[in-house]
Amino acid sequence: MQPSPKRRTSLQIQIAAVRALFWREVHTRFGAYNLRLGYLWVLLAPGMQVLFFLILFSTIRIKVVPYMDAGLFLVSGILPWMMFSSAASRAMGAVEANKGLFNYRPVMPIDSIIARTTLEALLSFNVFMFFLFFLWWFGTTISIEHVPLMVLAWLLLWVFSIGFALIMMVIGHWSAEVGRFIMIFIRILYFASGIMYSLHVLPPEALKYVLWNPIPHVIEHIRHSVAPAYPVHHVSLEYFLQALIVVLFLGLLLYRGNERSMMTSKSR
Amino acid sequence: MIRLESLTKSYMTKAGRHYLFKDLSLELPTGRSIGLLGKNGAGKSTLLRIIGGIDHADSGRVVSDSTISWPVGLAGGFQGSLSGRQNVTFVSRLYVPEDQVAEKVKFVREFAELGKYFEMPVKSYSSGMKSRLTFGLSMAFDFDYYLIDEVSGVGDAAFRKKSAALIEEKRKSSGFILVTHNLKRLKEQCDAAVMLSDGKATYFEDIAEAVEVYDSYAIPTK
Repeated sequence: MQPSPKRRTSLQIQIAAVRALFWREVHTRFGAYNLRLGYLWVLLAPGMQVLFFLILFSTIRIKVVPYMDAGLFLVSGILPWMMFSSAASRAMGAVEANKGLFNYRPVMPIDSIIARTTLEALLSFNVFMFFLFFLWWFGTTISIEHVPLMVLAWLLLWVFSIGFALIMMVIGHWSAEVGRFIMIFIRILYFASGIMYSLHVLPPEALKYVLWNPIPHVIEHIRHSVAPAYPVHHVSLEYFLQALIVVLFLGLLLYRGNERSMMTSKSR
Repeated sequence: MIRLESLTKSYMTKAGRHYLFKDLSLELPTGRSIGLLGKNGAGKSTLLRIIGGIDHADSGRVVSDSTISWPVGLAGGFQGSLSGRQNVTFVSRLYVPEDQVAEKVKFVREFAELGKYFEMPVKSYSSGMKSRLTFGLSMAFDFDYYLIDEVSGVGDAAFRKKSAALIEEKRKSSGFILVTHNLKRLKEQCDAAVMLSDGKATYFEDIAEAVEVYDSYAIPTK
């Protein structure tokens, strides 16, 4: 009759699981019944933020954004940030939310983190591209000189987000309260990530502290890549890479130590 | 083959540590079916999940070279907003290479006989339709062992009938690990049994003996 499930290597099984989870997530979010709303929301959430700040900027009439178009500036800050923060917040409840999926033995908690973060990254990147096109259509100059840098920055942020999401998943598993506290901290971090203001307008005393945060390092490079006149002399991708290695290592370490516990029933 | 090596499982409760079973060891040769006996809350479903590798004991381990199914009949595996087809595709992707997925989906579509409902969200299904999908899906694969939990999840009469049919169909090629309250079926369909009682697990090579002991243990206290 039917062939029995073929022996596959662990890597093949993991890839299959991530793939299956990825498409499941896509279908859930953009399925037949959510189709219009799903797509609309993906554009509306960042679009409204951009619009809000554009209105704010034009009212207070302060030149907060030097060297580049304000819309372009905002888009290239808000979308990378949204990818990072939504990956982190979704990871927090991932163990509880995916309990039903762990009934299928090939599914491990890390697979759902990889699948979801990858989907977030692809969505944000595509929405970013959409907004770039939109701005270009209405006359904004966008450079294609540094496309490889832009792609590299997004790729690094994607891997960083996976590492960070792993940490959030483990924390959320042990204590939802601590997880919520960290999410509040991340919301505050939003204001210290140079998303609605440029690092170049900060006084050196403030800049010193903001640069501890790895996120602006990657965001400033994305800005530089679409508008080369926008300088990147404060930030370094090398610093971001170091932060990425630390975060990813810590995430994998915590995950490895807690994988079994996440899949063990504690009580009924 | 499935071998359990000194498994111990407990839960922390307000009244202290509660043991489901301590130091449970047994070896299940390929093709042999096993029934899990015990009152509600004795830990049958938990043991089933531990054998299936989707829950873990406090200590000890499960060694196996066999393919083991997910717990058939457990609620929570389907995503309600996705269609039957999408759910089946998801599970198939987990268990077979991509080039066999279409064939599995076709099999389930024909077996479950859901008609146009196969393309509709699972949350719109009646419980009978849901169990047809569940069993169609488990029939599509040939596992060495099937885990069947009739007690938790959607254990209605139609469902139990379907699971009896599944066991009849697959018993030549596969073994079963069955949780049920139906002792008659247990006797017919299993070779051996584990009885969980008062924090102890007892293994019986002979199913008839197990049912007898379970009867004398469970009935007077009812």
